[in-house]
Amino acid sequence: MSAAIRVVFKTVASLAVIVAAASVTFFAQLAVPGDRANTLMNLQTGQDKQWSAAELAPLNERFGFDDPVVVQYLDYLNGLLHGDLGTSYTQKRPVLEIIGGQLLPSLTLTGAALLVAWALALGITLLTVKRGRFLTGLGTTWEALTASLPHYWVGVVLLVVFAVQLRAFPIIGGTSAWGSVLPVLTLAIPLAGFLGQVTRDEFEQVLRQPFVTTARTRGMSDLGVRLRHVLRHAILPAVTLSGWALGALVSGAVIAENIFGRPGIGQVLVTAVNTRDLPTVSGIVLVVAAIYVIANLLVDLAYALIDPRLRTAGAR
Amino acid sequence: MTRTRATLIAAAVLATASLSACGSDPAAAGGDPKTGGTIVYGHVQEPPCIFGGWIQQAYISRQVLDGLVTLAEDGSVQPWLATKWAASADGLTYTFTLKDGVKFTDGTPVDAEAVAWNFDLWENKGGNSTAKVSIDPYYKSAKAVDARTVEISLNSPYPPFLNLITQGYFGIQSPTAYKSRTEKENCEKPIGSGGFTVKEWKHGEEVVLAKNPAYTSWPATAKHEGPAIVDEVRWKFIADGVSRYASLSTGESHVVYEVPTVNWKDATARYQTIRYITPGKPVSFYINTKTGPFTDAAVRKAFAYGADRKAAVEAGFHGVIPYEGNPAVSQSTPGYNAEAAKAYAYDPAKANQLLDEAGWTGRNAEKVRTKDGQPLTIKLVYGSGFIFTQEGATVLQVLQEQWKQVGFDVKLIPATQAELWGGKYSDPSTFDATPSYWTSPSAAILWIVWRPSTAEKPNGSNRSFYNNETLSTTIQQANAEADAAKANALYGKAQQIIQDDAAGIGLYTQNSTYAVAQNLKNVWLEKSQGEPVFSDAYFVG
Repeated sequence: MSAAIRVVFKTVASLAVIVAAASVTFFAQLAVPGDRANTLMNLQTGQDKQWSAAELAPLNERFGFDDPVVVQYLDYLNGLLHGDLGTSYTQKRPVLEIIGGQLLPSLTLTGAALLVAWALALGITLLTVKRGRFLTGLGTTWEALTASLPHYWVGVVLLVVFAVQLRAFPIIGGTSAWGSVLPVLTLAIPLAGFLGQVTRDEFEQVLRQPFVTTARTRGMSDLGVRLRHVLRHAILPAVTLSGWALGALVSGAVIAENIFGRPGIGQVLVTAVNTRDLPTVSGIVLVVAAIYVIANLLVDLAYALIDPRLRTAGAR
Repeated sequence: MTRTRATLIAAAVLATASLSACGSDPAAAGGDPKTGGTIVYGHVQEPPCIFGGWIQQAYISRQVLDGLVTLAEDGSVQPWLATKWAASADGLTYTFTLKDGVKFTDGTPVDAEAVAWNFDLWENKGGNSTAKVSIDPYYKSAKAVDARTVEISLNSPYPPFLNLITQGYFGIQSPTAYKSRTEKENCEKPIGSGGFTVKEWKHGEEVVLAKNPAYTSWPATAKHEGPAIVDEVRWKFIADGVSRYASLSTGESHVVYEVPTVNWKDATARYQTIRYITPGKPVSFYINTKTGPFTDAAVRKAFAYGADRKAAVEAGFHGVIPYEGNPAVSQSTPGYNAEAAKAYAYDPAKANQLLDEAGWTGRNAEKVRTKDGQPLTIKLVYGSGFIFTQEGATVLQVLQEQWKQVGFDVKLIPATQAELWGGKYSDPSTFDATPSYWTSPSAAILWIVWRPSTAEKPNGSNRSFYNNETLSTTIQQANAEADAAKANALYGKAQQIIQDDAAGIGLYTQNSTYAVAQNLKNVWLEKSQGEPVFSDAYFVG
């Protein structure tokens, strides 16, 4: 009973977050200096001038830019409720179609990058925490170095080494699996360093806990202790951060997409913001907000799985 | 004198361009010509629609849509969809005779009705605002005389008319397709009679162009007769310069646009390279003559003298992009005034003298000149990331440092595309100088940019807010002059007026650079705007 109420409450709250995100974007876009019709005219002509009212009238009429803001907002909300995100001012296509075509490549890229980052971070943590001065030093140096690398730099180095010199991977591989390796690594390497740092701190602390000593006295192997007992504790902070990391990856994705000529939502968003394409911007923000909400729900679930204490708390 | 210079430059452009043209000899090419294959082309920006009034759209619509006439290397207007044309004695009527039997790729005929409908679309239905502004206010009407004869009427004589309609903006579309399909279909897959059709647009990635096997309407400037030799062109969008250029070396692409200037030397050694200096307004500063310190012509001139623009451009662009001292039109434009371009060579002493005479004699704590307690602050607004690349921004920073020496406090204000195009910096109070360019194959661009702005007929393109009646009359006389030599003399005079009054300040030419793989021959650039032409290209090997 109470569980059902909790689910309903969570769902309603999530929906509210999404609608709020869409609304904030809508008004933020209106607040950006510059006239939308003027931008559209300049976009269509590649100029940067001020057009006369007469020249702008047809566009204002067509897109309803002259309507009161409240009317524009209600129109937008009404469309949202009917699953209609509107039509792009510039591409003349429904926003749903624009997003639909670009969302999957972006999700694959960011999702794969998150997985690879986790694999790298865990592997390095398990292998190097408290493994003697040299190995530990190697691990911490690697993490500190990679965590601070800018995406653009990582991408270009990977490109020069693996695509141009070794010819192992394509530069402009689109969304093919082989072509996705370098973009995924571009995003995953800095994130792995970051996740590794967070996990390592926790890992070291947990290794000093009495229950670890207890486990060892029970005759458990070192690897067994690390995997079954320590890791479970140590990854919690990094799991929490993964929800945030997914968002950070979206911004990094723009850079990876640019370097490797890959389609994706990031590039579309940048162009749409530049061209004041309000329906597209709002639509994308809406979708990204939805992804955030879902990611955070998943993080909540993952917490419960990893930390048994939370499960019993929920049942109570 | 001005013509010799222009011819010389045209020859230089030709010489570079012919690098690819001379490959038609198979022995020199190192292999036998092949038919079929797919050209992968690395472009930079993805346009919102295939056709439109932005040069990014002209690049790709040129592959799909044919024009009435085209511009040859020597600057003459040559047949395309029109086999011949004649202007009436009063210069008010142009009669075009269309090529027989040409069909759009939807099967409907390219007839006089269709051509007249396209002119009406551009001019009266918002079909292409750059096409419109190119022929405004001269264009009057278009009508089909018979199936193959179309008549364009003008309000007053305008000899640059033919030259201007060679631009990619004037691509002819099928009226049947345009009227019967949705806006989205027209945007993504416009129907023309060109050498290629849009097969698929993978947004964010590439446009796949397929050969039009029934192509019959190649221009007189084509390097072979018949449909395209390759099967497809994959028009990829690779925004990043490093990877775009690198994709050539791995063989993933065959042609790339905008070779990074640091790589240009390497490219000339390894690939066929084509450099195209865009005619029209170069990248030059509009100088706000309406408000602020630049209302005084002496201060404008001091600004022009006060920094070594030539050295900054040469260093900033690694010697690849030429300096352009003429703010009005670039060196590849017919009627270019080379003498005017020489004015205001770097002379800090002269700049200081002019500023002293203009009363900017005080200096504040930061060594900035002052007059009546006001510092000599210049708001320089520039389009960051789309008009100015990182290299261009570096040039501005170098200039800023030199201007500081003579007492100008130049504030560099990077503007985003949304801000600049949204009109944030359109009001005279928001900037003192702003650099920009406008490509055009004719010096008639002077009228578009420098037409006086009046209350009845505002001209938003006149970003210097410079209303000069003598200039206006001179350009109008030039636009109406039938004799090319006389017209060019008048255009030259107009450029001199702008330069003498420092209503604009020159910087560098807008360029298009291409690198082409050694195994692909006959890629050439259309003359009016420098768009690549792929319908004659073939692979060897």
